[in-house]
Amino acid sequence: MSPAIVEVRNVSRRFAPTPSIGERIAGLFGAYVENRTVHAVDRVSLDIAPGEVLGLVGESGCGKSTLGRVIAGIHPPSDGEAFIHGEPVMGGSRRRVKTTTRVQMIFQDPFGSLDPRFRIGATIAEGPIAHGLIRRAEARAEVARWLSAVGLPADAADRFPHQFSGGQRQRIAIARALAMQPDILVCDEPVASLDVSIQAQIINLFLKLRRELNLTMLFISHDLGVIRHICDRVAIMYLGRIVELGRTEDIYTRPAHHYTRALLDSVPKLVTTGDDLVSFRPISGELPSPLAPPPGCHFHLRCPAADARCRSEAPDLRDLADGRRAACHHPLIDDRT
Amino acid sequence: MSGPLLVVEGLTTEFPTRAGIVRAVREVSFHVEAGEILGLVGESGSGKSVTGFSILGLIDPPGRITGGSVRLAGCELVGLPARDLRAMRGREIAMVFQDPAATLNPVLRIGDQMALAIHAHETVSAAAARARVAEVLTLVGIPDAARRLDAYPHQFSGGMRQRVAIATALLNRPKLIICDEPTTALDVSVQAQILTEMRALARDTGTALIWISHDLATVSSLASRIIVMYAGRVIEEGPIRQVLSAPGHPYARGLLDSLPAKAVAGKDLMQIPGAPPSMLALPPGCAFAPRCLRADGACDAEPAPTVAGDRRWRCHHPHAEPTS
Repeated sequence: MSPAIVEVRNVSRRFAPTPSIGERIAGLFGAYVENRTVHAVDRVSLDIAPGEVLGLVGESGCGKSTLGRVIAGIHPPSDGEAFIHGEPVMGGSRRRVKTTTRVQMIFQDPFGSLDPRFRIGATIAEGPIAHGLIRRAEARAEVARWLSAVGLPADAADRFPHQFSGGQRQRIAIARALAMQPDILVCDEPVASLDVSIQAQIINLFLKLRRELNLTMLFISHDLGVIRHICDRVAIMYLGRIVELGRTEDIYTRPAHHYTRALLDSVPKLVTTGDDLVSFRPISGELPSPLAPPPGCHFHLRCPAADARCRSEAPDLRDLADGRRAACHHPLIDDRT
Repeated sequence: MSGPLLVVEGLTTEFPTRAGIVRAVREVSFHVEAGEILGLVGESGSGKSVTGFSILGLIDPPGRITGGSVRLAGCELVGLPARDLRAMRGREIAMVFQDPAATLNPVLRIGDQMALAIHAHETVSAAAARARVAEVLTLVGIPDAARRLDAYPHQFSGGMRQRVAIATALLNRPKLIICDEPTTALDVSVQAQILTEMRALARDTGTALIWISHDLATVSSLASRIIVMYAGRVIEEGPIRQVLSAPGHPYARGLLDSLPAKAVAGKDLMQIPGAPPSMLALPPGCAFAPRCLRADGACDAEPAPTVAGDRRWRCHHPHAEPTS
């Protein structure tokens, strides 16, 4: 594998609510104050190779968006570090700020991510001008270039977000990210809020941009069908940890982690033949609260293979056959050795 | 059996807006047999939810049903006085909505608010109502239901709340439950649990379901018949396997072909060009014509429904004549 462009090293991200004044005083006097810290991302390490599309999959609350935001330099990590081209995404030591424009992010909701009072042209040109990537005089041509790259007419630049449909707004959000000429795009559920017939258009746009611009992408989604279609490798997250990492086809055909298999079994398949209704094998139980994840392997409460070791000892992400990594004491595929 | 449970004929629902009249549902006709699961699919704005609301008479003024009829077991619901409609809702037809957090009252205990749904329709003792609530909660897969009656909605997860909403719909043993995207807001693992339970419920209780969804895969694993809506009209209807294996209408075909499951990984997906039309400025004739590769001059005229056996579609140039 070529040297990684994105390196995530032991990144954790915790969210703790600011204690109220009463709680702080109570704490000073030694009273018990409930710990409400959420470990959204728990010691995650991964690499993304140049030109690669890595899928990040998991259910709501598993920390996939938070990890994406750490890589995009929106949240500083609580521990560990994310690097791009070997440099930390966030500079500074006390007050951490994003120090690179090499990574850009695309959000799920194209209604919330565009300023309703900015014309499209101003929205797209704002970043590159502020960072000195282009001069103000070049802005118009530059905006037209990126609008055309995402399949919109140049005159869209003079209009406002409300004049566009959801699919078109997502194209504008993509153009805005591309105008910063990033090496890496972090896409957080970019097609989840779009209609089915529009989803295919945006997925095709990502495929085209990837071919033409050799973009590296982190593609976050809960839609296993979309992930399978556009990602080279996939990371599966569960309650803040990566439980499996490997080539897309391998994971879909031969999952190593019991959670991965259960997740794949839960997805409704499009059935077009046969009279019988397909049967699901749903995962039993519910996602535990991220405030109080179970000890040991986070999945052991719902896992058919769990034993005493799984209840006490958290499995590390380790190498298995065919370049796969999984965090499981009893994986479904063989060890490398 | 004397005819279908629900017959909808020529249903039209309009909403006057400042910009003009939106005809959200246009001459929609279909039927539901007792105990059947009918899938109703379409994109946002296709009128699928408004169809569900219209059946229940839940259209708020100034919107109103301007034409057609909805008959439940032979009894006409359109034009029924509000009091009679209220007596019917919940007892004959119930509805489950997409967002369970908005369905439940946050300041009432689960057991109490569910009991209200029983007391609305019959006179029973509080203890009997409580027992029935616990029984129905067990039916939808809530473990240890009797002990959770005193919990508040915020103490339940999203999947559990949706189970409570489904249980509430089941309380008065309605003949039909309209489910409007009930699993869209849920995670796939929870969705699979709920789909499995709904299928068993429909089978065991004989309740018919109208399952409104934008997700063809979910519908294909649940329903026996499917209706596809576009711009307020039913454009295709038929037994689900037949429609999904050989859709007649180019829009239904386009929807199916655009799914990633239908393509080779990494290759471009088939896509339907353009976007759904504004309901304020519908094109004359077939509303799908501007996006349709098969459209020609004939499509300037509204296509009449073609019926072939169990199947029905509205198109001048359907794909390979479906066999029935």
